[in-house]
Amino acid sequence: MGAVLLCALTLTLAAFALTRRRLLWGVIGVGAHSLALAGVYLFLAAPDVALAEAAIGFALVTFIFLLALRRTGRLVVAATEVYPLLYQEGDKIAGLEWEILRRFGQWVHRDVEVLWVNRADIPRLLAAGETDLAAGGFLPREGATVLLSPPLVPTQLVNVRCRPGPVGAVAGDRGQDHLPPDGLTYEDAGELAAALARGELGGAVVDLVRLRQWLLSEGTNKTHFALRDAEMTPLEDLAFRFALVPHETELHQALEEFLKTLASTGELERLITEHLQ
Amino acid sequence: MKWVARTAILALLSLVAVGTRHLFPRPDVAPWQEPTAQYGAENAVAAIVLGARLWDTLLEVLVYALAIAGVKMALGGLGRARPLPPVPETPLLRRSADILLGPIVILSLYIAASGHLGPGGGFPAGAILGSGLLLLALAKGVERLSQELHEATWERSEYGAIAALLALGGAFLCLGFPGSSFLVSANLLITMEVAIGAWVVLHYFARARGEV
Repeated sequence: MGAVLLCALTLTLAAFALTRRRLLWGVIGVGAHSLALAGVYLFLAAPDVALAEAAIGFALVTFIFLLALRRTGRLVVAATEVYPLLYQEGDKIAGLEWEILRRFGQWVHRDVEVLWVNRADIPRLLAAGETDLAAGGFLPREGATVLLSPPLVPTQLVNVRCRPGPVGAVAGDRGQDHLPPDGLTYEDAGELAAALARGELGGAVVDLVRLRQWLLSEGTNKTHFALRDAEMTPLEDLAFRFALVPHETELHQALEEFLKTLASTGELERLITEHLQ
Repeated sequence: MKWVARTAILALLSLVAVGTRHLFPRPDVAPWQEPTAQYGAENAVAAIVLGARLWDTLLEVLVYALAIAGVKMALGGLGRARPLPPVPETPLLRRSADILLGPIVILSLYIAASGHLGPGGGFPAGAILGSGLLLLALAKGVERLSQELHEATWERSEYGAIAALLALGGAFLCLGFPGSSFLVSANLLITMEVAIGAWVVLHYFARARGEV
């Protein structure tokens, strides 16, 4: 009787593991299935086999799957830190794009995890499939092979000129396309700002959101960009979007659908006004 | 869904609590004095181990060694991936590893050391110890754990254990058994081999992915 019950439980757990959409639940189902199978062996008077099945199937295999899932079973977002869009506050993540990503994670039943990286590393991480999304004020370079989400926040690329000297931009960013041949590139926006503040650069190609951040921080932390009387030429009208791995068409479709829903309920607009004004 | 899971767990626990004695069918076993005397063992389980289970385990160890060699050769051809940024540590996993690691090690040693007296033995004990190592890798990250363990020594002791086991098995096959007292140390050797093998395989996979 016990063996029959456990056999039924084994089948149920196998069906449970196969029908889960979230991989983590599938792995947990497979582990529980192994444990029930060990119970079946126990009732068939094979305690030795039951022990081996429990040790290998329930513990070892589950742990190996979990170790593999650490990178794939979640929604990994490669991001750069940009103040009102996506930033760290203590040990928490906040910002407009984070609110959107968090809701999207719930929508697709995956845990969102943000990897803070340099802007220049994002194309490589996306191409290697190590991250599913790129965020944090993402503006793609011309000819970049990524899938793009619908526009989130409109912005503008401007050329800021404070003093004579070379012009800088963030490596891998859209601004790099607008650099003159003698332009300099920096690993992230912070280094670009520091170089501008030190006076190494005469100007920079940046978007309005980062420019606003620089304007707000001017005077604090002894930074002085001389932005007040800088000359600004608008270059291009753009919009911040999320970038996806080219082969992730399913995720792309889900993101499009999700953003459409978010826009139709007015939630997106509410979030934008809340974070940007 | 939640109450189904809870009922299932409760049912399983109560099955164990009622006592396995009355539920298990008892297979008819031949009188144990005869095989015990034949193998020079002190008890019936040790006689079974010497007569059948030890060969089972030795072949398992051989299969395991072949699997490790296969993983090494297959992944060696792929070359190393470019390094990846490390996965951040989560407090939940870290805590559970702190709490579970001690009991896991003690349980595996107990199962290995009492393998000649009841169900258990080297292979399940090694799998349990190996899962303890993997739990540690899960909590700390493979990259940090592999920095703390000296990889080359572990791999060498792994091959040493395999060679010793195969030599022991061959010697006993040709020369007969010197009683059952060597079973404890043989089981501990098998435990070590299987546990380190689990870690070595995981390490090769992680390295091919660029994590280490």
